[in-house]
Amino acid sequence: MMQAAEKAPKPVKQLDHRYEGISKVTGKIKYAGEFSEPFAKSDLLYAYLVQSTIPSGDIVSIDRAAADNSAGVVTILTPFNAPKLSQAPPQPPARRNLSLLQDTSVSYNGQPIAVVVARSLDEAKSAAALLKVKYAPKPAKIGLKNRLAEARWPKDPGKEPAGNHRGDAQAGFSKATVIIENTYITPIQHHNPMEPHGTIAWWDGPKLNVYDSTQYITGVRQSLAKTLNIPVDFVHVVDPVVGGGFGSKGSMWSHVPLCAMAARITGKPVKLILEREQMFGPVGGRPSTVNKIKLGASADGKLLAMQQDVVMNASVMEDFVEHAEGPTKNLYMSSANSVSAKIVEANLGVSTFMRAPGEAPGTAVLEIAMDELAEKLNMDPVQLRLVNYAETDPSHDRPWTSKNLKDCYQQAADRFGWSKRNATPRSMSDGNAWIGYGMATATYPANRSAAMAIVRLLPGGRMFVGSGTQDLGTGTYTIMAQQAAAGLGIDPTLVEVKLGDSTLPKAPVSGGSQSSASVLPAIQDATSQLKLKLADLAIADAASPLHGLKTLDIDAKDGKLFNRNNPTQSDTLTDLIARNGNKPVEATGSAEPAESKDAMSSQSWGAVFAEVAVDKDTHMVKVRRIVATYDIGTLLNQKTGHNQLMGGIVWGISFALHEEAHIDSVYGRVVNESLAEYHVPVNADIGTIDVSTLNIPDLKFNPIGSRGIGEIGITGTAAAVANAIYNATGKRIREYPITPDKIMLA
Amino acid sequence: MHSDVTQFDLAAPPSLQAVLKQLAAEPGKHAPIAGGTEMMVALGAGRLQQRSLLSIQHLRELRFIRVEDRLLHIGSGTTFTDIRRSAEIAKHLPLLVQSASWTGSVANQNRGTIGGNICNASPAADTPPALLAYGATVTLVSASGERTMRYVDFHLGYKKTALRPDELLHSIHVPLVFGDHRQYIRKVGTRNAQAISKIALAAVAKVEEQRLADVRLGAASLTDRPVRCSATEAVLSGASLASDALEETIRLARAALAGETHAIDDIRSTARYRGAVAGNLLEEFLRSLAG
Ligand SMILES: Cc1cc2nc3c(=O)[nH]c(=O)nc-3n(C[C@H](O)[C@H](O)[C@H](O)COP(=O)(O)OP(=O)(O)OC[C@H]3O[C@@H](n4cnc5c(N)ncnc54)[C@H](O)[C@@H]3O)c2cc1C
Repeated sequence: MMQAAEKAPKPVKQLDHRYEGISKVTGKIKYAGEFSEPFAKSDLLYAYLVQSTIPSGDIVSIDRAAADNSAGVVTILTPFNAPKLSQAPPQPPARRNLSLLQDTSVSYNGQPIAVVVARSLDEAKSAAALLKVKYAPKPAKIGLKNRLAEARWPKDPGKEPAGNHRGDAQAGFSKATVIIENTYITPIQHHNPMEPHGTIAWWDGPKLNVYDSTQYITGVRQSLAKTLNIPVDFVHVVDPVVGGGFGSKGSMWSHVPLCAMAARITGKPVKLILEREQMFGPVGGRPSTVNKIKLGASADGKLLAMQQDVVMNASVMEDFVEHAEGPTKNLYMSSANSVSAKIVEANLGVSTFMRAPGEAPGTAVLEIAMDELAEKLNMDPVQLRLVNYAETDPSHDRPWTSKNLKDCYQQAADRFGWSKRNATPRSMSDGNAWIGYGMATATYPANRSAAMAIVRLLPGGRMFVGSGTQDLGTGTYTIMAQQAAAGLGIDPTLVEVKLGDSTLPKAPVSGGSQSSASVLPAIQDATSQLKLKLADLAIADAASPLHGLKTLDIDAKDGKLFNRNNPTQSDTLTDLIARNGNKPVEATGSAEPAESKDAMSSQSWGAVFAEVAVDKDTHMVKVRRIVATYDIGTLLNQKTGHNQLMGGIVWGISFALHEEAHIDSVYGRVVNESLAEYHVPVNADIGTIDVSTLNIPDLKFNPIGSRGIGEIGITGTAAAVANAIYNATGKRIREYPITPDKIMLA
Repeated sequence: MHSDVTQFDLAAPPSLQAVLKQLAAEPGKHAPIAGGTEMMVALGAGRLQQRSLLSIQHLRELRFIRVEDRLLHIGSGTTFTDIRRSAEIAKHLPLLVQSASWTGSVANQNRGTIGGNICNASPAADTPPALLAYGATVTLVSASGERTMRYVDFHLGYKKTALRPDELLHSIHVPLVFGDHRQYIRKVGTRNAQAISKIALAAVAKVEEQRLADVRLGAASLTDRPVRCSATEAVLSGASLASDALEETIRLARAALAGETHAIDDIRSTARYRGAVAGNLLEEFLRSLAG
């Protein structure tokens, strides 16, 4: 095995419970919008974001007389009086094209066009309703499916090129005995974490402080400094807990600098929290993708060519590419691939990363096509995937750091009872429902960036660990405590964790499933440094049983430093630090991807199996069971890890059956901008979810062996459900979400 | 756009009489608010016309469930939770318990009232199909007296009811005559709970020697208001469920239902889906009677 050559890491003791769990459920820990210090609470002002009601045009005037006279109003910022800022070009994730009242143009319906600041939120809202905005509308670009001919190449496709060819796809198709060619569509989706975006800003002379709900405190800090033209050192960003982000909080959006501007103008702390309906536009969303997919295979199922041409909507304000074509490049070993990703401009808010950007819609569409291919070949869908198993990365022609996907197929299929599947649609039923089984492959790249951490040994043998990372509810606190504890061999309950503060050592955006893979190696490095310092302290300390030993002879375990050559010779951390006058001992550490990282590809994998029941009269779908096994490297914490995977799966079910933003064809506004109409599943929609992980460390990727777990759960799930619906009903729905209406009309 | 809550008045007059007096003194100026689960949504969305709200939530006079004169009387202030917990309703009107159980969430059911559900007059509301099928009557009260009418006549059009601005819905009455009826209800939503119905059908009927009698059908989301499907009922009256006649009975009933309903397209569903699934539900009911 590949891993055998690497030194296996010592097992890390896991916390049984979420580090911050109790403080969360007792309401003790504060979310960004809940702080009422260090400023005087009575000073706090409330800002309300006013949004445009047309999709395209110019603001001619804003009559603010009534609003200015409305009770409690302190100030109103509009394009006619807002301070001028220097706007830099977008640089995602941190910096985006924002609406900061710098001109009178309107690029989408729902764009921030004014900010009303008042003594209370109610007063701000009611004054906002009194603003009379006069527009000069311009024709708007709305719709995607009817405008595919307008598709163009993106100006800046991001990390991946927008077009890519490997081998000769046309030759492959001409040799193929079986060809599948269809169009598959995914809708616009909007992030709706429980905690909406929100900011509190106040100035301390030239210095700006913000509490901001964000996945990237460093990004907010830099973007605020750049936007407001102040030194980075003058910006302090704090966010101890995030109530979910899913990508939309990976970037700083307009409300953050607007809140800071309002605070500067009023000289008071200002709070600006987005309402639920304001989450549908000003803070990103996943674009709709229209995917033409063509697969060609020989009679034995070998893929000879794969082609995927994606067209998606992008805001007129900024190109953003959802790389739905990603899986077609690297999920299977095909003789040739050809992909493209193009955009159609629309008067909509800027699109952005949403949980598993690229792979979520990408697997949702490709994995239906694979199911269709398997059917046409009269082959088991798992077998088709094994026949085309990519032992190396076809997109870069290089090895994987670790890949055990075959085991995932095997284990999940066994637990699910896949062998009982009858491939003929409508062959299984239960009462008034057709029963169907479906499966799909899950995948998401493993990412890692440079990160730093600080650790301290504290009096009493306790520890502190800090890093400027974020916890989105994902478990960062928990695994940081575990990693720090493991470094000195103490119990993880003895560790105090600090994150979400821009004064801490830098860490990357909590996006791309990279936080654990980036931050834990930095902590590992910091604890190694700390151990050396403590060893030296003991060696120099005449009162220590380890006095006079060599640094390299000393290790730590069970709250003690000990002599490797004579383990009974030891000094407890508590005694050591007490003799140091209870002065904490501190070390910092850092880690970054190996220079050799481009020699190999790192990716996570999974196999997802779904059972659905489709009512014969109503075509309502119930997802009875999802069984999935993942290869994500080391599973860092059973509870938070499984929670991430299960949450991803629930979203995958939502992708399959529920979520879709409806855009008004005239006004370009999201029609269903509330959770009453923008549906996500409720408990009654979710059956049993049975997840497991292989837990095989990927030590070529990083010294912890973990590849990140935050996004892969959503991938594959939607297609597994779609394929199960086909198996149940014989109806192939190629446009998500798969509603009862679509099943009936198919 | 949003409403400014500071611009609204809320009063809680001490008695039903006091509320009625105020409604009569300034008709149209005040709006009664019961559980507020519709009103507060309308307020948030800036859709609330009246600026003065009179709370009736605390009025014991409107919150009761009792059997009297072979009728089950339900006060308009009765919550969905009250309905779900009532042994009397469970015994006599199982369809109403069912519909209360899938109205919104538990929090909703604790506050929301049956009176609010009816007076709000949404075509998609959950309790009307059952009340229509049960042939309910309603009593409206005002300072000048009270009147009782058939519930089916209460809904006049989209969100239009027979209530005058000075009136309150006092109570709902259902005759206890369904001991021998077969009963059926089904809601189809966009998800398996906490969803507004795409369509719902409630049905009661007697089966006598394989023939249908006293068929009553109530439906939601098939027209601009909650409806009793009387043309379909007429076709089914006396129709045979015998195996050689069943298919024809179903065909005629489906045709009649399609003829008297006019479903719409909206973001929750399509007219075609609603029409077809309404027929499927009716068929499911009829087959269950035959089986
Ligand atoms: C999250 C959510 C989910 C929901 N889900 C559902 C659902 O699944 N199914 C469903 O049917 N409904 C649903 N609703 C709507 C609502 O809960 C119900 O319609 C409920 O029955 C309203 O009752 P209420 O007492 O809260 O009415 P209120 O909001 O107090 O009043 C509603 C209307 O009725 C009038 N009114 C109330 N009582 C009287 C009276 N005695 N006489 C005259 N007029 C009166 C009021 O003036 C107002 O116009 C939901 C609402 C929410 C917020």
